[in-house]
Amino acid sequence: MSAIVTIKDVVKEYSLGTTVVQALRGVSLVVDKGEFLSIAGPSGSGKTTLLNLLGCVDTATRGLVEVAGKDTAKLTERELTNLRLNTIGFIFQSFNLVSVLTVFQNVEFPLLLQNTLSAGERKARVTSLLEQVGLATHLKHRPNELSGGQRQRVAIARALVTDPMIVLADEPTANLDSATGQQILDLMRSLNQSKGTTFIFSTHDHKVMRYANAVVRLADGKVIGREKPEEAVAHAIGELSAPVEALPS
Amino acid sequence: MISRLNLLVQIAVRNLLASTVNLLIGGLILFGTLFFVVIGSLLDSLNQSMARSVIGSVAGNIQIYSSASRDDLSLFGGMGGDPDLAAVNDFPKLKAELEAIDNVKTVVPMGNSGALITAGNIVDVTLERIRNLVRSGEGASVDQALNALSSTERKARLDSEIAHLRQIIAVLEGDAKKARAILSETAVEPEALAALEKVSTDAFWQQFDDKPYDALEFLENRIAPQVTDAQMLFIRYVGTDLDAFQRSFDRMEVVDGQPVPPGQRGFLIAKFLYEDQLKLKNARRLDKLHDAVAVGRKIADDDELKRFVRENRSQTRDIVLQLDGLQTKVFVEKLQKFLGSSEKELPTLLTSFFETTDANLEARYGFFYRELAPLLQLYRVRVGDTLTIKAFTRSGSIQSVNVKVYGTFAFKGLEKSPLAGATSLMDLMSFRDLYGYLTVDKKEELAELQKSTGAKAVDREHAEDQLFGDDGATVVAEATPGVIQEDAQLTGMGRKLRQEDLLKRVYTPAEINQGVVLNAAVMLKDGAKLDQTLAAINALSEQKKLGLKAVSWQTAAGMLGQIITVLRWVLLFSVGFIFLIAMVIINNAMMMATLQRAQMIGTLRAIGAQKSTVLGMVLIESLVLGVLFGGVGMLLGSAIVAALHSHGIAAPNDVAYFFFSGPRLLPDASAASLAVAIGLILFVTVVSTIIPAVLATRVSPLRAMQADE
Ligand SMILES: Nc1ncnc2c1ncn2[C@@H]1O[C@H](COP(=O)(O)OP(=O)(O)OP(=O)(O)O)[C@@H](O)[C@H]1O
Ligand SMILES: [Mg+2]
Repeated sequence: MSAIVTIKDVVKEYSLGTTVVQALRGVSLVVDKGEFLSIAGPSGSGKTTLLNLLGCVDTATRGLVEVAGKDTAKLTERELTNLRLNTIGFIFQSFNLVSVLTVFQNVEFPLLLQNTLSAGERKARVTSLLEQVGLATHLKHRPNELSGGQRQRVAIARALVTDPMIVLADEPTANLDSATGQQILDLMRSLNQSKGTTFIFSTHDHKVMRYANAVVRLADGKVIGREKPEEAVAHAIGELSAPVEALPS
Repeated sequence: MISRLNLLVQIAVRNLLASTVNLLIGGLILFGTLFFVVIGSLLDSLNQSMARSVIGSVAGNIQIYSSASRDDLSLFGGMGGDPDLAAVNDFPKLKAELEAIDNVKTVVPMGNSGALITAGNIVDVTLERIRNLVRSGEGASVDQALNALSSTERKARLDSEIAHLRQIIAVLEGDAKKARAILSETAVEPEALAALEKVSTDAFWQQFDDKPYDALEFLENRIAPQVTDAQMLFIRYVGTDLDAFQRSFDRMEVVDGQPVPPGQRGFLIAKFLYEDQLKLKNARRLDKLHDAVAVGRKIADDDELKRFVRENRSQTRDIVLQLDGLQTKVFVEKLQKFLGSSEKELPTLLTSFFETTDANLEARYGFFYRELAPLLQLYRVRVGDTLTIKAFTRSGSIQSVNVKVYGTFAFKGLEKSPLAGATSLMDLMSFRDLYGYLTVDKKEELAELQKSTGAKAVDREHAEDQLFGDDGATVVAEATPGVIQEDAQLTGMGRKLRQEDLLKRVYTPAEINQGVVLNAAVMLKDGAKLDQTLAAINALSEQKKLGLKAVSWQTAAGMLGQIITVLRWVLLFSVGFIFLIAMVIINNAMMMATLQRAQMIGTLRAIGAQKSTVLGMVLIESLVLGVLFGGVGMLLGSAIVAALHSHGIAAPNDVAYFFFSGPRLLPDASAASLAVAIGLILFVTVVSTIIPAVLATRVSPLRAMQADE
């Protein structure tokens, strides 16, 4: 399997006034094509920061971030945007659908930005994806007419409509009840298997970690291990019982 | 591309519907556009109709005049009197040059000026008639018909005139005595009263039979000046090639009398002026009352009309003085019968007669014109009269010409406009005479003069040089009485030529054209190509050294031409104000919306929308707002204009006739104001959205990750 994401010695600093916060302190990570990878860690450990770097919506302070073979530090703003459009799909914690557009239009939007398919092709692609996420009958609905789980399905369809190499999801189930969350994860998992799309999602929920092939555990801005889900869950439970600071580094 | 735009428009429309502030903004844009389209169309229509008025009444499409002129041309007179224009010397050449230009139909020579004319007072006029009758007794009157009268006829007419004069004197004497009694001893000079007393005696009139000329002189010197009703009247006129004028200004029509015969000297009085200034005041006021009542005004509650009635009642002397003894008797009888009164004094009867009310006006108006007017001289100048016009030449001396009034004229649709009806027409030869420019007649006089006085023949070439030199001002100075010793030396042929034949002489078009003109109207085949033709004329003048300045009718109309421009600025200013408010509000609203939608924008950026897409989205949003409401405003505005067109806007007053170019203005939604409206909407929406749009492009895709607060 070939690496689709390579991160090496990445440091991300936020400056707050005079003080500098290090959200990531020398993270290295390789993600292979087709992985269903979870990034786990307690609150403040740097999960979102890491996903932002992988998603090319932010740049590292130091270190190498290579996505789909491209060193993101060397790309212009325009090129980064194109990289996001064509190779990355996003699933957000709070769904982030465009409220004034219908389900269909929300999903179609990235295709319109790409501007490579005809209207017919777009229609076929969008409806088939919405069928796969189980919303074939809701094309004309507005996001506010859907439940949280349905909204996240729409978001998944939108993330996948351009056939991206990687889908990034920051706590995709955090705003859903656990049953719905599991359905969403099942859906992601099946799409990962049927299409071979790489999924990277963050969570601090051990039930969610179980779905992954592998779990990268973060703590305090550092990768503290890449493990099988069962190990990670055990560690995570341990972490939850003891404060992060108390852990030996 | 299209579907992307479509989607952005949909986002925009939906976003717009989400906020009520947008309704306010939309309302402002709608109102501003509507206002602009309606008022703009009105102004455009006004401009067009005024253009028709100005172009059709005197200016033509383009006016040309000498570039050596000290002042700018101003056809309707400026603040400081007539503009000081240098003469254009070789008009025929210039006419030929200009008419060779593609779009030029014809060139009509002109000179605009004005002069005070004294419409002789009633005593003067009567005395003139008596003098003519006395002269005809010696066979010396200029009026051959009078010379041919039998002596009994002459005696009868003379007696009637004298009776009239004595009637006038009686009125004057009565007035003077009353004035002394009521006001003071010094209200009337004793000599004046003495003169009146003297001429009211039978002894004076017995003496008249023996020495009529002495008596006439006394009357002219001592009595005529006491009548102050002689009005100095300022008449503006255009000296022009009357034939060409009548051909070129096709809205002109002769109302009374006839056109000046081709090639002849003559004067046509503007009908409005004729009615307004030269008509018997009481009759004029009756006309105005009649017209006002006809359009539904009521004397009972209209101050202006009440004033007319008041003036009619108090100012009856004009009528009284016109009548001789016999006529006075007829008047008294008619009025007594009409009014059912036994009053014997004519002034008192007239005062009661002119007490017009809404109820009796029409009856009295009819009676006046049916029964009284035929006995009155309704106009102080009549068709067929010869006007003596005196004017200062440019060298400062006073020159006068006699011109026969052939008739009155008006411009179709502008009959009621004081402005269009203020300018009368004079033949170009008389005009040149009046202002001391050399005419063919003067050339002949010069030749005559040289022959009869044996003056050394002036080398013709040299004379031309001197008279038609480059500097127009010199020509004038040389050509005015300084060169021609006027009446003093003009005897024999020359004098006769001036005195009588001039009025009858027929000039060829070449003769009319030859000589100086002050300005000329250029008539175009296609008035829309004004600017190009203007440029062409100026270029030609430059190239051939014609020394011309060509200006549009608008410029030539002076301040009048600027009115619409000023109104247009006022409109732009007020619409600008409305739109400025709209811009501020749009800017604020879009700013707020952008901040509110930061997460949405960030999401779009994260999933791959370029900054330009975001920019487009925000711009399209306000454009949709502008186009939507602006479009409705334009439609509504056009509908209002169309409604105005189908009803027409009635001219509210006399002045408006000129601007409306007739009794009604029929406005059209002009393409120009619609185009400008579109431009304005685009400008307003785009400019007011620039800041929020740029702000939106700065929203980071990171905002997508942050949870909504
Ligand atoms: N924009 C920012 N400015 C300053 N500090 C930030 C910013 N974003 C994150 N941080 C800091 O960086 C660290 C990592 O934050 P991050 O959001 O990546 O954590 P996380 O693992 O996603 O936490 P959670 O589970 O609560 O979402 C935290 O200490 C946080 O306070
Ligand atoms: Mg996070």
